[in-house]
Order: sequence, then structure tokens, then C-alpha cells
Amino acid sequence: MTGDPGVLSGAEGQGLQRGRVLSVMVAMGLVASGLVVQLIRVQFGPYAPVFDARARAGAGTRERVSPARGLIFDRDGVLLATNGTMYYLEVELRQLNDGSRREIASVLSKLLVLPMEDLYAQLTHDWTAKGQYRIRLTRDDPRLGRLPIRLEATAANVLREFLADPLAPDLSGLDLVPTSSRHYPNGTLAGHVLGIVNQEGEGFFGVEGYYDDWLSGKSIVVERTFIPPDARLEPDPPAGVNLVLTIDADIQNVAEIALSEAIEESEAESGQIIVMDPRNGEILAMAAWPTLDPNDYEPWLVQAEADDSAITPAVAAQYEPGSTFKILTMAAALSSGAVQPLDVFVDTGVIEVGGVPIRNWDYGAWGPQTMIGCMRYSLNVCLAYVASQKLGASSFYSYLTEFGIGQLTGVDLAGEVAGQLRTPRHPEWTESDLGTNAFGQGVSVTPIQLVTAAAAVANGGVMVQPHVVREVASPQGVYRPKPVVLGRPVTPEAAETLTQMLVESLEGETRRATVGGYRLAGKTGTAQIPGEKGYDPKWTIASFIGWGPIPDPHFIVLVRLDKPRSSPWGSVVAAPVFQEVVERLVVLLELPPTQGVPLASGG
Amino acid sequence: MRNARTQAFRQAPWRILRQSAGSTLLGLVALLLVAGMYLAVSARLAAAGRVLLDLEDRRAELIRETTRLGAQLADLTSPERMVERAASMGFRPAHPKDTEYIVIEGYVEPEGFRAPPPIGSPVQPSGGLSPAYTETLAEWVIRVVAQLRGGR
Repeated sequence: MTGDPGVLSGAEGQGLQRGRVLSVMVAMGLVASGLVVQLIRVQFGPYAPVFDARARAGAGTRERVSPARGLIFDRDGVLLATNGTMYYLEVELRQLNDGSRREIASVLSKLLVLPMEDLYAQLTHDWTAKGQYRIRLTRDDPRLGRLPIRLEATAANVLREFLADPLAPDLSGLDLVPTSSRHYPNGTLAGHVLGIVNQEGEGFFGVEGYYDDWLSGKSIVVERTFIPPDARLEPDPPAGVNLVLTIDADIQNVAEIALSEAIEESEAESGQIIVMDPRNGEILAMAAWPTLDPNDYEPWLVQAEADDSAITPAVAAQYEPGSTFKILTMAAALSSGAVQPLDVFVDTGVIEVGGVPIRNWDYGAWGPQTMIGCMRYSLNVCLAYVASQKLGASSFYSYLTEFGIGQLTGVDLAGEVAGQLRTPRHPEWTESDLGTNAFGQGVSVTPIQLVTAAAAVANGGVMVQPHVVREVASPQGVYRPKPVVLGRPVTPEAAETLTQMLVESLEGETRRATVGGYRLAGKTGTAQIPGEKGYDPKWTIASFIGWGPIPDPHFIVLVRLDKPRSSPWGSVVAAPVFQEVVERLVVLLELPPTQGVPLASGG
Repeated sequence: MRNARTQAFRQAPWRILRQSAGSTLLGLVALLLVAGMYLAVSARLAAAGRVLLDLEDRRAELIRETTRLGAQLADLTSPERMVERAASMGFRPAHPKDTEYIVIEGYVEPEGFRAPPPIGSPVQPSGGLSPAYTETLAEWVIRVVAQLRGGR
């Protein structure tokens, strides 16, 4: 065992080798133990949720995907509401540097005409302290506060070119995020019918509000993992339905032109025209003034709130209808058999109902008049007599209830109000109400309510629910709602008799509402406006309701003008609007003349 | 046995070392193979996922463009513009007196406008991609084993 002291013996070598192996194993064991301890700490330690969240954040994305909002067409396929693309300006803060902050603020300020200081302040704000690494740039609106900046496609394209050009200013960190926006290609056309959609994609008022759930579809949450990588084809979110309206864009255009001209000529404050098919309740046109452009609804909304005006006037702007309401009173009297068209009433110029004297619109006495004459000359005294002495309160209000007065029609437009009708059960009802209600005073209706009730007379006594949606196209198929009969308030005979009476009275009362070749029935209305101190002595609501062609009416038209200056009378300002609309309507609906003009034959 | 190994180690220590090194290396190679395969599959999957995302973006862009063009067409054919254009060409709205109606025997009124189905109706997620892009390695192994068992 002796030898060179520098050379180890076999046992010494083995010992040294074991020592080395042992030290390596100990070192590896220590490392492994450290790893295990760290693993346990990460998995189960107090910071385990933080580690878990970080791992999940880096392992994939989770985003809510919303389908495109459904389209809206008119009955002939004219696109009324579609979707456009707007772009939000977002900034990834971690990509910014001092130069890009200045450049982004400068470029956006010039391109969008916005204050540079405001933009720069947003870019230099310490968002990261709040844990925010990506921000959406906003602008200041004097009326609505801070709103996200949204760009049209043209401005977005300019910015894209900047971003792609290496020689352009440094805009690194700036991102254009597309978002869907609602677009109405026809501007104000049928704006009140369509309603509005806000920046969050929620529909309000009109069709957009009523069918919001259907149009918007259902958003879904899509998760994509990066670790492990994911390559799944995600299903699209359930799409919103497409709607076909009963509105005819051409008739709507005619109605809107006629209304705007009437507003201009009469200097009225506001107005509405409704054109409906009395046979099935389809609304063919629904015009309102002031108009609403749903593409730019914010100023209109602010103004409407300031004026406390109705958002969708045809279904929400209630008013005392005045003489157009006499249609319902006379219909009730005829249907109950209380009067016949040729029954004579001697008008002395005044009648007392419930202790309150009721007079005619001209304070005159019209002497002996048939019921046709009462309607033709719109005699308040006669109608108050019919309601109070021939019909009686119970029967009169029963008929009005059957006509749906004071109730919602159920039209598929958001924001409908029911109007007001005080019946004898109401604690504030007095007997004098019976006399005034008979000629449309002391009762509030909406235009849609009155046109629906009058349509029952036009349609042989059958009252059909008004509606604006004709067809619903969903991914599952096409659904076409059927007309809903609301009731049969009067007999077919009474409806026909009253229609004939109104044809005669119209031809005798005003030629301003007649159209050559077509027999039309109609009634003018001039209503006083109630205020806190009684009826306003200056302003009126001038209106007209008419239908035709008789004997097979295809349309009923209501015209309403609020506070006309040129003349207070419905026969002067509203009747010519009816005439103008019907002259175009019969052509657009391809309705041949019913009298005087023989049809050619061919084919 | 222990004596035999000790004897062998004493006579040729490199044999034992080579054997253990060989076993370790074999395991390492096998591990690398599996890791390589996993990496290759993951890389292909990631690439396919990227292509898929690009295609989805392209599809969204095309839908946006289609919608934009549809809106532009609607702008150009809106009733207001059509009336303006007709007026500029010397036309005026027809009056009932201008209109002559002709009775045509056997005329059938065309069916009204039917709404198109909504854009982006649900797409069936299955059938579009090969399982090579969707199944995990574990699923692949299970499938292969199942096939082999079935083959027997």
C-alpha cells in the first residue's frame, strides 16, 4: 500500500468518488427541494390566486362577441336601418414614448379638430397606477360630458395610412378598434318609427326600442387559449333578426313632404300624419314633425327633453281630439239604434248637460238638422244631445271602451301611452263630462288610438290592432305576424251607414278634402288645448280623419297640426293635407277610381 | 451477483458507466422525441390558429365592406334622392288624373319582398378542421392506442 504519495490508492479513490457523487446529489437535492417548495408555494401559498390569475391572463383571451344588429327594411325592401363601422381610438400605454405621445396628440388634434392639450393630458395621465394599460381616448361634449372619440371610415383610413407609413409621425401605441354603429340611409325618413340606437348598441323608442332584444341577438363569450395554442373555429353568436316593416317608403316620403309643407304654410308648431290599412292594421306611413334623424339623435333628444315633448308622437303625444271624436259618438248611437241618419234634431245653439251649457263652435243655432247635417256642420250641441239624451252615460262609455279609448292599442312601437278617459266610475267624473266627451273635449287620445278606433268604422265594424312589423326573418326561418282583431265595437250596418253619412258630410262640408274619382269619408276636427287655467283661447289642434275609397276602403289617414297660426280650423289647414296625401296615395297603392272614370280593358 | 458486478467494475469500469450513460441517453432521446413531436404539433396548431384568426378578421372585414356598400346603395336609392333625380330629369309625381288603369286578364300580383336571413347565422364548428388541429397529444395517443386495440 506504499507508493507515490501523489497517487491515491484504490480505496482512497473510491472514497473521493463517493464524496463527489454525494456532493452533486446533495446539490441537486437542494435544487429539487427548492423547486418543490416553490411549486407548493405557487400552488397553495397565500399568493396562489395571484399566480393563477397571471397564468390565466397570459394563457389566452376572453372576449364578448356580439352579433350584427338585424336590418330593417320597408315593405318593398328599401333598407331603412343597417350597420356601419365606426372606430374607437385606443392607446396601448406600454408602447408609448415621449415622442409618440406628442405626435399622437398633435396628429389627432389636427385631424379631428380637438384640443391638443386634452389629448396630451389623456396620454400622459398615470393610468398604470390604476392598473390600466390600455385606454380609449375621449372628447369633451358641452352637453353630454365626456364621450369616446369615434371615427368615420374616412378619418380612420387617413390614420391607418399614417400608421403604415414609416416616414409618418411616430404614432406607435395608437390603435383603431372597429365597432358596429347603426346607420339609417334615409336620414329622417320614418325616423320616429325606427327609433334610435345608442353607442352601446341598445335600442330606444320606435321599432328599435320595441324589438331591441330581437334585433340585437345574443352576445357570447369566446375564450381562446395561447398555452396550449388553440385553433378552434368558434361559432358565431346567435344573430339578431331582420325586420320588414309595413311602412311603404314612398308613401312615408309623400306623407313627410305633405306634413313639412303644411307645417311651413300653417306655421304650426308640430304635427303628425298616420296612414293605415284599416283591413289589417298595417301602418303604411307615420310622419311626425319635428323630424328625427336617428343618425344624429343626440341634439334631438336633448331638445325633446327640454321641451318635455313626446318621443314618438304618434303613439305618445296625447291630445283632446275635438270634432274627429264625433265619429265614435255617432257610431255608438247608430250601432245601439239610438238614432237614425235622418232623425231630426232642432239645434237651438245651446244644450245644458250636468249643469254646464254646451254651445256650437260658432256659438250659432243651426235649427232643424238631420244626423247627417249634425256631422256635416260638426254641431257640438247635437252630439252632446245624442250622447246625453239618446245614448246615456252607461252605453256611451261602454262603446268608447269597446273602441279602446283610454287603453293601449298594443302597437309594436316603444313608448305608447294610453290616453285618458274618465268614465262614471272615476271619482272625478261629472255628468257634464258626458256632454263634452261627445264632441271630443275632456278626453285625451293618441293619434294611433284615434285612427285605430276610426278604422273600425272604415272596416265594417272590425277593429284591428295597428302594427308596423310585417315580417320577421330569423336564422330559424321567417315569421309573418297575422292581424289581430281587437274587437267589433259597432255593427257592420252602423259602420256602413256612418261611412255613407261621412261621405255626404265631407262632400258638403269641405271640398278641400275630396279627390276626383274617389268617394272618401272624413271628418274635420278643431280642438282647443287645455291648460292649467282652462282652455287656451289662442291655440288649437287642427286635425282630419278620412278613409277610402268607398265602398272598399284601403286606407285611413289621420292629419294633426298643433297650434297652426295661419288658421285655427281643421277644415282649412288639415283637410288640404289629407287631400294632398290621398292624391298620391291612390296612385302609389294603384287604386283605380271608383266613380266617374271607366276602366280600360286589355290583356 | 453483487460480487460479480463489483468484479466486472474492477476489471472494466467503463462497461458499467457506458451502460448507465446509454440508458440515460436513451431516455433523454425518447423524451426529446416526444418533446419535439409536441413542439411540432404545437407549432402547427399555433400557425393554424393564426391563419384561422386572420381568416376570421378577413371575414369580418368583408362583412363590414358588404354592409357599407349596401348602405351606400340604400343612400343612392333613397326615396328622397330618387324623387330629386326624377325631378331633375323632368318627371313629376303622377296625379290620379294622369293614371290610366288597364284590366289584364290572368295577371298575378308578384309576391312581396321577403327579408334575407340575418348575416352571421350560426356556423357549425365541427367538420371545418381536421382533428390534427384540434386534438391534444394525449387524445391522439388514446386514439392510436384504441385503434391498435381495435385492430387486434
